[in-house]
Amino acid sequence: MPVTKPAFNLMVPNRVVPALGVLALALVWLLDVGSIQPNRIVPGTGHGLLSAVGWLGAGLVTLTLAASILISVLPLRRRYSLLLGVVGLSLAALPLLLDMFAGRHLPEASPYARSTIASGFWCLLFLLSLMLIEILSRLRAGRALQLMLLVLIVGSWLVLLRGDGLASLSLVREFNARPDKFEQALWTHLALAFGAVAVSACLAFVLALKMIRSPAWQRPLLGAVSFLQTIPSLAVFGLLIAPLGALSSAFPLLQSLGIRGIGWAPALLALIAYSLLPMVRNTFVAITEVPENLADAGRGMGMTERQLFFQLKLPLALPVIIEGVRITTIQAIGLTAVAALIGAGGFGGFIFQGLGQAAMDLVLLGALPTIALALLADALFTMLADSLKPTPAAT
Amino acid sequence: MRIWLPPALFAALLFGLSVGMPVLEPLFQWLQPDKQRVVYERESFLFLLQNHLLLVAVSAAVGTFVAVAGGIFATRPSGRDFLPLVSQVASIGQTFPPVAVLALAVPVLGFGEAPILVALILYGLLPILRNTLAGLEGIDPTVREAARGMGMSSGQVLFRAELPLAGRVILAGIRTSVTINIATAAIGSTIGARTLGDPVIAGLVNGNTAYVLQGAILIGLLALTTDSLFEALERTWDRRFSPQVATMSL
Repeated sequence: MPVTKPAFNLMVPNRVVPALGVLALALVWLLDVGSIQPNRIVPGTGHGLLSAVGWLGAGLVTLTLAASILISVLPLRRRYSLLLGVVGLSLAALPLLLDMFAGRHLPEASPYARSTIASGFWCLLFLLSLMLIEILSRLRAGRALQLMLLVLIVGSWLVLLRGDGLASLSLVREFNARPDKFEQALWTHLALAFGAVAVSACLAFVLALKMIRSPAWQRPLLGAVSFLQTIPSLAVFGLLIAPLGALSSAFPLLQSLGIRGIGWAPALLALIAYSLLPMVRNTFVAITEVPENLADAGRGMGMTERQLFFQLKLPLALPVIIEGVRITTIQAIGLTAVAALIGAGGFGGFIFQGLGQAAMDLVLLGALPTIALALLADALFTMLADSLKPTPAAT
Repeated sequence: MRIWLPPALFAALLFGLSVGMPVLEPLFQWLQPDKQRVVYERESFLFLLQNHLLLVAVSAAVGTFVAVAGGIFATRPSGRDFLPLVSQVASIGQTFPPVAVLALAVPVLGFGEAPILVALILYGLLPILRNTLAGLEGIDPTVREAARGMGMSSGQVLFRAELPLAGRVILAGIRTSVTINIATAAIGSTIGARTLGDPVIAGLVNGNTAYVLQGAILIGLLALTTDSLFEALERTWDRRFSPQVATMSL
């Protein structure tokens, strides 16, 4: 049984990668890959694959996709390693397409002209990422390999985007117009999201302990935190404006601290309220689900209840608590973007400013880093939780 | 019958406030003495509520259909190859913040109701897809064997055994999806959809706290109505299909 399984996996052709590959080929040839805008607001003229990157670029894209389709159906021994190489490299080299496009089409004499990424390129990026996910799950890749690939791809994107060839890319232009604001937005975003997670983690710990000590509190407390979670974020932000505004005008001390109806104070409060449900639930479940026979064994060894809690229950509960922190952090990163509506700053500021000015690249400059932060938080906390899980050898 | 009382009460309050907000004008005047207009009048609250509900209902219906069909496809023998990818996408996709998905839909589809509907459908189908997969995969294989042993065709096994058993989990996924989408549709006001988020956004722009409050209260009530409705639905489901579970949880 253990001998036949890997051979079976390797020799059976993969149907998923060809399906994605054919779709990618169709979309990249049918849709516009990029467009050239004379300035920031005027809509651009689109270019299909052939017109955008010429025969060389179009041939490379087509060949790469055809190769990945062929590798997945031919009876090859190291199919998934080969595929990983092809797809990983093409993902890392994808910005070169934009480089070629800008080089061929950007008018020399107009300093405001900019190249924009169009739907064909986004589709190619999306489908290649799906292929990568499929290949990694077939290879049963470990966290280390996944992280290495991610660093390689993201690193190559950052290097290529910083190069001269892509300085005309509208996304890069929007960034270059406000590097200080971008950095400030990053720190505000992180401070708000992680501040809320940290405060709610401490609160949730206390609440969970209270629920364990006095079971009568369980229903009302869980009910209250899940009630908070039900109210949409925009409503919570809106409802906090009036009371905080009134408090701030009644107490000048609060006002001097920067606590007002709009700004970081209502944002942080709302974020904490939202973070409580996943935190309290996971912390409570994690601690109560430590097997009673382990606790008995600890008692038998002469541990006090305090020792039992800190040396046995808490370490065992930690992976589930971290899982709660992961969910909460992802949620808080997204909600912080909404909080920009009440003037809290962060990447949401770019999103809503861009929507207001119909400047789509500014919207992207806010949305893409928000997504990247959420994915990064997800990856890091998953790794942390995995590394804290007790291994069979240790028990 | 008592379980239907909270959704009915919340719905009555929501409808009453949507129609009768102008009656509360003195209250908002007291809250916001420096503004001439204190009740949002650009669009009637009832129209905004109706539009908000329509967006959420359409996206929930389409999302449920697509997600359940996708979940069924990925768990059949012919589609099993796609199962790892589909379940990975369902879980990775949920780490994308809803606002970011909404924002990304605008460059592709422009302003208005179309991008928000697409964003709501795409984002809303992920929790349903995830729960459909969990529900169908969580069924004890002996149940399928028994159903087949009774002479059921594979279609009958799916519709008479698998879907009813997975239904409760799928319903929970729809609840999550609708809760998220009510909140996201409210933010959709910033990209030109006419929803209950409008008064909030208008109030924030003009510094009119009364507008913000009216929008926020109605959005909150809408969320509570829907959530309590799903709570009642889930309880009814439990009583009907798995009486033991229902008595245990009481």
